[in-house]
Amino acid sequence: MLLNELLKPHRHWLYLSWSAGLGAGLATVGLAGSIAWLVHRAVFDPGATSVWPWLGLALVAVIARHALQTLRDWAGQHLAYRVRRDLRQRMLATAARIGPVHLAHRGHSGAWASRYQEQVDALAGYYARFLPTLGLALAVPLVLLAAAFTQDWIAGLLLLFSAPLIPVFMALIGMGSQQIHEMQQDQQNRLAGHFLDRIRNLDLLRRSLALDAATDEVAIATEGYRRLSMRVLRVAFLSSAVMEFFSAVAIGLVAIYVGFSLLGFLEFGPAGQMTLFSGLFVLLLAPEYFQPLRLFAQSYHDRAGAVAAAASLAPLFDERTTAAGVPARMPVIPAEFLLLLDTVSVRYDPDGPAALDSLTLQVTAGEHVAIVGPSGSGKSTLLALCAGFVSPSTGSIALADPARSFAWIGQRAHLFHGNLRDNLLLGTADNTPDDLLIGALNSAGLPVTDPTLPLGLDTPIGEGNRGLSGGQAQRVALARALLSGSRLWLLDEPTSALDPETENDLLQRVLEHARERAVTILLATHHAAVHARLDRMIRLDHGRLVADEHV
Amino acid sequence: MADSWPTNMSDWDFLRQVFRGSRVWTGSAYLLLALTWIAGIALLALSGWFITASALAGAGFLLGLELFTPSAGIRAAAILRTLSRYGERVIGHEAVLRVLARLRARSFASISRLPVSAQRQLRSGDLQHRLTTDIDTLDAIPLRITGPIVAATLAALAATGLTLWLAPWPATALLLTTAGLTLSASLLAARVGRARGRALVEQRSRQRVALLDFFGGLADLIAYRRVDAERSRLEALEYEQATAALFQERVSLVADQAVQGMVALTTLAMLWLALHWHAHGVIDAPVAVLLTLMTLGLNEALSTLPGAFWRTGESLQAATRLRALGVDPSTTPRPRTRVSHSKVAEPPAPVSGFRVSNLAIGFAGNRPLLSGLNFLLEPGQPLVLHGGSGLGKSTLLETLAGERVPLSGSIHLTGRSITELPEPLLYRTVGYLPQETRLLDDSVARNLRLGQPELSDVMLWNALEKVDLAHALRSEGSGLDYPVGETGRRLSGGQARRMALAWLLLRATPVVLLDEPFSGLDHNTEQRILARIRPWLEARCAAIVTHAPERLPREWPRLDLTGNAR
Repeated sequence: MLLNELLKPHRHWLYLSWSAGLGAGLATVGLAGSIAWLVHRAVFDPGATSVWPWLGLALVAVIARHALQTLRDWAGQHLAYRVRRDLRQRMLATAARIGPVHLAHRGHSGAWASRYQEQVDALAGYYARFLPTLGLALAVPLVLLAAAFTQDWIAGLLLLFSAPLIPVFMALIGMGSQQIHEMQQDQQNRLAGHFLDRIRNLDLLRRSLALDAATDEVAIATEGYRRLSMRVLRVAFLSSAVMEFFSAVAIGLVAIYVGFSLLGFLEFGPAGQMTLFSGLFVLLLAPEYFQPLRLFAQSYHDRAGAVAAAASLAPLFDERTTAAGVPARMPVIPAEFLLLLDTVSVRYDPDGPAALDSLTLQVTAGEHVAIVGPSGSGKSTLLALCAGFVSPSTGSIALADPARSFAWIGQRAHLFHGNLRDNLLLGTADNTPDDLLIGALNSAGLPVTDPTLPLGLDTPIGEGNRGLSGGQAQRVALARALLSGSRLWLLDEPTSALDPETENDLLQRVLEHARERAVTILLATHHAAVHARLDRMIRLDHGRLVADEHV
Repeated sequence: MADSWPTNMSDWDFLRQVFRGSRVWTGSAYLLLALTWIAGIALLALSGWFITASALAGAGFLLGLELFTPSAGIRAAAILRTLSRYGERVIGHEAVLRVLARLRARSFASISRLPVSAQRQLRSGDLQHRLTTDIDTLDAIPLRITGPIVAATLAALAATGLTLWLAPWPATALLLTTAGLTLSASLLAARVGRARGRALVEQRSRQRVALLDFFGGLADLIAYRRVDAERSRLEALEYEQATAALFQERVSLVADQAVQGMVALTTLAMLWLALHWHAHGVIDAPVAVLLTLMTLGLNEALSTLPGAFWRTGESLQAATRLRALGVDPSTTPRPRTRVSHSKVAEPPAPVSGFRVSNLAIGFAGNRPLLSGLNFLLEPGQPLVLHGGSGLGKSTLLETLAGERVPLSGSIHLTGRSITELPEPLLYRTVGYLPQETRLLDDSVARNLRLGQPELSDVMLWNALEKVDLAHALRSEGSGLDYPVGETGRRLSGGQARRMALAWLLLRATPVVLLDEPFSGLDHNTEQRILARIRPWLEARCAAIVTHAPERLPREWPRLDLTGNAR
């Protein structure tokens, strides 16, 4: 299980937390004993010896207790901190390992970001509070119970019998809690997604005169989320109320038992020998006896939240899917070929249909290949395969050296938050001079003097490419590809989201620059106008190669 | 409301406004919390008193000890404590969550009412963070800060009242000192935590943006071999963020234990004082024990304070970020008086003409992209606007739609300038299909019914038929319920475009502005759709921007914009 697996390398922090908590429990016994003794002696034996040694002992006990409790919580928090950092590193590593195609199968980028931030944080309480209190809820009450038994076994039994009832009741209450937690988390994600979608489409909503309706919808969604959150909280509150109730009743019972024994109303067992010291000592221990259990009850819903989060995170780390990385270089790749596919099949789901089915293909350097076919025929998969984003289930793929670095342009270029310069530098060395960047932009058809780029290379680019039109974003991506000097360009419907005019212009530039630089192109498209301009066309259908024509 | 709100209002004022509507409920929760703590103190103090008195009576030092009242008091305190605790939790959270839910809806409403230019500058990921996480953070104010302060003050007052009555003044002084020190320690923790808490909120938001870039741009990062660099940058961000958060937690736990330790030391001091007074016959033994245990019981109330205070920074920063959106903080539920625009109200006045005179358009502060534009849109004569790439055709259409201010000149609709039209009337009159297709992550039906919930299924199918989508949707199976996906990704580019066109057909505005309506469609589909919507188009004032005028009916007038370019 993910939660245990994450704990393993940092277990020692948990042990430290437990030891400190146990030490604090022992200090509590010392404190209660010295207070009880001071009172007892003052009432029944005033002035026999100095109060200072006992007061001093109490003082030491107080300091030790709170120093150790600090250590207990410190260690717990450190554990949670280390575990979360590990997990976040693992998420990034997994994303890098499985590549963009498998990543998208496991949720869109907003969902991944939310997992990285919120869902990982949902594990914190489990390590910082639940695990430490889990051990201490057993050990500390046992120590205090033993101390109580040394004084009066009936009082000890009162405490002993009141404690086990608590977990029973809590289990009854907590049964449904995990399920509600999962629902709440699901709702939380959905609410966040809903907000994002409506915010992105404010323009559309305004034009449709639907802003008020959208606001009402948001109100309904957020109200649903509140109701579910309240259900989660009510369960948590009820379990801690049960806990409170038993501890309060038990303390009251102990007080009354001790009082009546001291009055001499109870003659059986040890009750007859009860002294003020032993009575007060047991009374002072009683609330401390329940304290760890109370902390445990409070942290119980930390556990439910963490289990729900771990359940949704664990499948992300499924080791079976992995992108190939840049494909292995075949030892004997004939010099004229750039790319060789030998009966390659790709399946996303081992039992599902093949996205690519026994495909054999050779591409020579400098060729411009259009990949056509209906949606779902495997065009994108073929490109992802060449990029190393997915690996072949059977068969083999080999790339010649120049193809091992490639440029990628998708349907909608992803521009990074920052300025235009940062986005161009992504494809090349960080110290590339500005005039080279400007030159590349010009070649891509986006002169830096364009009025929509008021600050030139320093023009900020917002999230979602804000500030640039779709065509301009694709041009930036082309400039990036030009700057990268890659000899292989993988283009996944690079112009399909553009108006025909921009499409035409962009395509012209792509082909012109590719020809100049002897770049090999693999371009997926469903436009006849596009593939007519390339020198070779391969047609896919249901993952199979059905035509391969040189123009 | 949002606009009239003074901008110099502080974050605290903002928060006060937010929670004002729930004062009765949160106030009750505070009182119940105080009651919980007082009952806890009473339980301990009364038990100590009872035991000591019993011991004295048992040994014969005390005669006539009345048993019923103390033991009933002990039981009552035990039950009261549980009930008031549960009540406090449920009432407090219920009230706060209601307020926050309303605030969320209101924030969205405020954002939706921002001017178009301000809206377009917002980053949606950041905005989403504000509406979800930032608003969640505000619950700390009543639940962890105000509530505990009020309740701890009441509990401390109850305790000092008792010491004033039962013991000489130093006992009261001791308790007041402890309460004062706790408050100072908490304020100190708050000071340390506030700036960092604010920074933490900003760091999280920056991290969010970086994460969206990493997961969204992974293909480019891998292609250009920047994955490792980007990963280490994210790990550095995470390290910075996590260590800052850890520091906050440590300040909180150290302050927490320091206060608890201080209360324990105060208990010892009280014990010493009480025993001293007992030895001198000032107070009797049961009262001495009562004073000691009461002091011990204060621990529960006082120890919550420091941990609460350091959270103020996060809540205040969240408030700052919400204020920056111009969110109206008053969350008092109020009857809905606004008229919903979404219902089809009276149809817009018949439009006889859409006149453009001497218009210049472009970006403010730059030379105009196009100038000297004069034309009239009339029913029956759709105007085809064309010209080379990058002339500003789309900017022109955006200006005609009233979404961009003209640099000079005028646009008149049946004699009224469109800049003077109120928004509802403008959008009921002018239908605009921009170049970029936008769809909601919702079903086909909900997308088409956007703003017109009363449209029947038959009408939707009719429109889908016209744009040649009906067949594809019928054969897919789920029909109108088909979910189009985030940004319409479950449709092809051409299908998405046709959906947007169907939406426009259903709006049936007297003026129609189309920017490359058929992009992403093959020639045959384009001609088929054109033939079907032609009567519809010719019945209104229409302008169509295209790069390929030859594909549109020859009878339609054309305007080549090349001559109007700078």
